[in-house]
Amino acid sequence: MVVDELDALRTANEGCQTVAFGDLSTQMILITDTQTNLPREALDRLCAQAALVLGRTGKTALGTVPGLRALLADTTSLRLFLRATDEPDDVLCCVCAPDVDVDKFIADATECLHRISNSNN
Amino acid sequence: MSDLNALARKLAALGATDEVFDTGARVISQAGSPAPLTAMLRAIDETVLDRKLVFTAGDTCVSIVASGRRMRGLSDITPMHETAKTLLGETISREDPASLDASFALLSELFETADPLHVRSMPAERFGSGGERGVPAVDLATLWQIDLDEAPLPPLERFLRANEDTITAMLHVDKGDVVASKGDIAALEVIWQTQVQAYLDAEAKLGGQQDGARLVCLDGALDDGGSVALAFAGDAVALLVFPSADLGQLHGSWQAAFR
Repeated sequence: MVVDELDALRTANEGCQTVAFGDLSTQMILITDTQTNLPREALDRLCAQAALVLGRTGKTALGTVPGLRALLADTTSLRLFLRATDEPDDVLCCVCAPDVDVDKFIADATECLHRISNSNN
Repeated sequence: MSDLNALARKLAALGATDEVFDTGARVISQAGSPAPLTAMLRAIDETVLDRKLVFTAGDTCVSIVASGRRMRGLSDITPMHETAKTLLGETISREDPASLDASFALLSELFETADPLHVRSMPAERFGSGGERGVPAVDLATLWQIDLDEAPLPPLERFLRANEDTITAMLHVDKGDVVASKGDIAALEVIWQTQVQAYLDAEAKLGGQQDGARLVCLDGALDDGGSVALAFAGDAVALLVFPSADLGQLHGSWQAAFR
């Protein structure tokens, strides 16, 4: 179950507040972890942010090629976006506290996304 | 230095909004800003009542007894250092230049490259003989050729300095003017000239926060696999190229500089 994967990622990483799996082609969040309290509009913005920083249809807002991961930080929060390697429209959008262990979280999230993306396709 | 200057510096320190506390200890130097020994003397200069100031960097911990804006002497050091044995528990004095030189050499050796440097202010302990008052911090600064008025680097500068070894190319723009650069900036110039404003406009449409400091990292966004980061701070922005493996470290140091 995708939601179990998202819940496991969230609970395994202290400071992780929201994990959402989305589709960049439609810019829609398809499913979130069970504890998230973000309203639909915020989830839509989160997915649109993912599309902006990761790029769509081979185009990127910054740089020359669409990347696989993006990090947006301010002093109070951190947003991480990860794109599946095999299915470039599959993305994980994550909202975390600023002190989350970024390296561990990215490693866990990459594996999580790989499992979800492969099970869906 | 006049008393007015000293007063102005203390008022500025009291009013500073970027004072950082880390697990109860005050961070007084980060990424070499201000220089660790400058930070130590400032801490002593800010100490009016009898206190033991415990300076820590990594595993090294040095306790200095201070009072009346003076350094009285070293009371403890861990791990123990051979040079320190003759200094511990002894009140420093201008009449004993050898002990002042030895204190300076010891503190330089232990803390010159400390990053970060913390201080805790603890209750004073009985120290030395009653009549000796130590040496004023401002006099030590003169003696040791340390500028107590050294301006601290802005957070963006501290962030860049902390990542000097990580960043392979850098374009630092302030109020639209390039103020510094490093490495091969061809890709960064293209991003700055053709993409950044469009990105900010798109971000604004999404209602994203555009006030305050922000860090945007795009992993693997360059043809050669390099990653790009944009650090926004007021009117300044630094565009960076960094290795993908250092994303976590880059974010960690950004948090440390801007929190």
